[in-house]
Amino acid sequence: MSYVGESAIRIDAVAKVKGEALYPGDFNLLGQTYMKILFANRPHAIVHSIDTRLAESIPGVIAILTAKDVPVNEYGLIMPDQPVLCGPGSNKPYADRVRFIGDQVAVVIAETEEIAAKARDAIVVDYEDLPVVTNVHEAIRPDAFKIHPDRDSNVFGHYRIRKGNIEEGFRRADVIIEGDYSTPVQEHAYLQPEAGLGYIDEQGRVTVVVAGQWTHEDQHQIAHSLNLPVEQIRVIYPAIGGAFGGREDMSVQIVLALAAWKLHQLGINRPVKIIWSREESFIGHHKRHPYFIHTRWGATKEGKVVAAEVELIGDGGAYAYTSTKVLGNATLMCTGPYEIPNVKVDSYAVYTTTIPNGAFRGFGGPQGAFAAESQMNKLAEALNMDPVDFRLKNLLQEGSLLSVGTPLPKGVTIREVVEACAESAGWRFTNGKWSKAVPPQNFERYQHLKRGIGFACSFKNVGFSFGAPEQCMAKIELYGQAEIERAVLYHSGAEVGQGAHTAFVQMAAEALDVPLERIHLVASDTAYTENSGSASASRMTFMAGNAIRGAAQLALEKWAAEERPAVGLFQYRPPRTTPYDPETGKSEPNFAYGYVAEAAEVEVDIETGEVRLVNLICADDVGKAVNPQQVQGQIEGAVVQAAGYALMENFVQKDGEVLTRGLSTYLIPTVLDIPEQVKSIILEYPDPIGPFGARGMGEMPYLPLVPAVTAAIHDAVGIWFDDFPLTSERVCNELKRLKLSA
Amino acid sequence: MLPEFDLVMPENLQQALENLGQRNPGVVPVAGGTNLTVDMRSRRHTPATLVNIEHIQELTGILQEDDRIEIGSCVTIAEILKSPIIAAVAPALIEAARGFANPLIRNRATIGGNLADASPAADTAPSLLVHNAQVELWSKKNRRILPLDEFFVGVRKTVLQPDEIIKSVHVPKTNRPSASSFYKLGLRKADAISVASVAVYLEKKNGACGQVRIAMGSVAPKPLRAYAAEELLTGKHLSLKLIEEAAKLAAEASSPISDIRGSAEYRRRMVFVLTRRLLTHLAEMMELKDW
Repeated sequence: MSYVGESAIRIDAVAKVKGEALYPGDFNLLGQTYMKILFANRPHAIVHSIDTRLAESIPGVIAILTAKDVPVNEYGLIMPDQPVLCGPGSNKPYADRVRFIGDQVAVVIAETEEIAAKARDAIVVDYEDLPVVTNVHEAIRPDAFKIHPDRDSNVFGHYRIRKGNIEEGFRRADVIIEGDYSTPVQEHAYLQPEAGLGYIDEQGRVTVVVAGQWTHEDQHQIAHSLNLPVEQIRVIYPAIGGAFGGREDMSVQIVLALAAWKLHQLGINRPVKIIWSREESFIGHHKRHPYFIHTRWGATKEGKVVAAEVELIGDGGAYAYTSTKVLGNATLMCTGPYEIPNVKVDSYAVYTTTIPNGAFRGFGGPQGAFAAESQMNKLAEALNMDPVDFRLKNLLQEGSLLSVGTPLPKGVTIREVVEACAESAGWRFTNGKWSKAVPPQNFERYQHLKRGIGFACSFKNVGFSFGAPEQCMAKIELYGQAEIERAVLYHSGAEVGQGAHTAFVQMAAEALDVPLERIHLVASDTAYTENSGSASASRMTFMAGNAIRGAAQLALEKWAAEERPAVGLFQYRPPRTTPYDPETGKSEPNFAYGYVAEAAEVEVDIETGEVRLVNLICADDVGKAVNPQQVQGQIEGAVVQAAGYALMENFVQKDGEVLTRGLSTYLIPTVLDIPEQVKSIILEYPDPIGPFGARGMGEMPYLPLVPAVTAAIHDAVGIWFDDFPLTSERVCNELKRLKLSA
Repeated sequence: MLPEFDLVMPENLQQALENLGQRNPGVVPVAGGTNLTVDMRSRRHTPATLVNIEHIQELTGILQEDDRIEIGSCVTIAEILKSPIIAAVAPALIEAARGFANPLIRNRATIGGNLADASPAADTAPSLLVHNAQVELWSKKNRRILPLDEFFVGVRKTVLQPDEIIKSVHVPKTNRPSASSFYKLGLRKADAISVASVAVYLEKKNGACGQVRIAMGSVAPKPLRAYAAEELLTGKHLSLKLIEEAAKLAAEASSPISDIRGSAEYRRRMVFVLTRRLLTHLAEMMELKDW
């Protein structure tokens, strides 16, 4: 019986459909208190004093905590550069500053949410405003105001790649295309705003029930800030309403734990509850990085790309979050899945006093892909070549060297996905080259509607990159006598809505050859489950699958040796990766990849500027679709999210303030805005080291969408857009400027 | 969270009017509540007492009279969308209902509420304006009928007195060959506040354009008619050049602002584009095109 490859019904489906699944905000305990956070609501200032006397005098207020109450007042996923609470009396330098409007200044714990809100508003803070630095090109200058005075400059990350001889490359080029691209901020807009419950459990552990992406990292960061041993912190994830990278950094985790712990120290053993409003969520968690990319590519008239020079600047916002890792990815992906002999890349991550930017589906890949694929499409046009045919002359193959001077891991299938996608979108291979057989059809009756088709492809890493420690653990217990009656799988991997837990159970059933219904999953509770790494980097199925297979094998060996229960605990470690060489960038960046290609058909209303995504074809090599229905869901979800990024989502910030503070002004696609058809072509070329051949795939379909859409718009109306979102007004203005509209 | 309020549940129109007759601005009627509850949650509006009128018989249903239809003020947008009577008399209103918010909101929101809220972007207003709709206003002491054009005063302001409610909306019927259409330009296909909207009503008379009415939304403090454009077209044969001139006059009659949804310049341009598009479309439909 095969369990991997079946579209098994999700193990959380019934509870979610019936409304019985509990999300962090649904948990209540007897005697719980309520917490509200005082956000800075100003972009950059020194906090001279915080007067809580009036607030504390309000009946029902239990405690108010400020910087002086935080044992170790710093945190951060990559580097601890953010105060837990900003203000005087902190034990870390420069923690008396707020650096974006969502910095947290105080937390109020009270008998009711209303009292907590009232007391929050009664806190008097004396601020001294500092210069607001929102323009990344100004922030990068050596004389710019230093947002973190303990650092030399606002640049906190830099990579360089030097491959071949860039001048020689450009000398060989017959055509050179230069472009300046910029990509916008994007909000994750998950259904469930941040929420949680903090309490001291029966074993004295400071416990938080929250939504996150990596239980054990949350646990470590809480332990660090509270100055408590890791074992004294417990993190539990219940049902999670979406994440997309937006829960990779802390939101309510540390302050909830801090509040529960401080109350406990005061002799008050009551749980603390918090639920953020949508507006608090919008200003309180990070966004997708805006990138500014200047790039120059050269190709020969035979269609070989011979040189690519790129400068990337990523706006990190007020704190590092995952900016340096995102930058690492963008640095690799900004030259696309192509073998280019001469490459020069310089990339920078820069602080500004805006909302921090961090992890978001694609993790630097979409920004890099937008520049790379736009360059490829423009080069194809300049060479009078078909964009698919041109790509196929340059794609990475087995053994070809990346920009960082090393080959991809075995199992390179970018050619296969490009051909599958092109064929489905109407391209044909005749007389030795690929060309579009069917041009898009315009309607005679509607002269203002112009259709076009665009193409793009991408590669995306699976798992942590560039030498970051990477591992995943799983434990399996087998119960029964003659046959396995019950198997218990312990795993920390976060079910953020993507279907990971169902995939875990399917892979365990397959590895044990035990029916699905006999697998019992204990998930995402640091008291019971071991470190699995994060639900990010398209890694969960790949990493968890290998860990589960290892644990199953160990458990089955013990089962055969008559141990009851038979227990297997396994840690999977993938092949080692290495960091960028500081001078040349030489590295072995990743241990696995996924490959994807997309063709988009759009319709442009040349009078209003409205762009409609009519059809989308996505060919994605997933190695092995553990659950094909869930794979299709991930492809469609990624495409819709990327379509919002391309055409609609417009996060407006001015002087460090946010003008789009909710879902009525920050618009995301509705069901009526999504493409009429998304065709998922699921390819299954096994990854040599993937579990059952599986590759990661959660992010891949996101990457090529924007450049495919801009290429389609170019096909329709002859304009290249090098920035987005392509709102109607933006498109209309450009059509008007170029006199292409009536 | 909603602020606290008293809720009154009158059994009939008389009781409702009695409640509102105190002329206390803290007492307001509520039907679908799709605007009011949002305003209350944000504390933009904190009425002490809500008078629930949504089930009052006299305010529901769509009546056929000889010369007009009367749409009860508590008729929902979803009911409008399904009404063959309205489809026959005012097709533009059906188009407006189709693009109104989303299916859930359409099930709750009422035509009276949409007009009383008097947003410049009110989706039903332009269509009703081009159909020469009137509003019938009732209070405890008084009843009056006003052209819809005189009902709106400014941004979220109407002539409605604190003791008055909209009883119904009258849409006149015509025997002359006519057609109407509406176009809403939003930033997405559902749940969008319009950036600009235009409705056009056209009659055919002796092979030329008879009465014509053009109305616009989201491009002025209130939904408004483009009288100069209408005048230009009345009695004329419709050439593309004439249509374009009329569309220009409509754009000139608008006075949009720039906000987070769009610039004044874009909005004015869209009035031109949408007016031209609707006029062209209706002229083709009515076999009035002279090109």
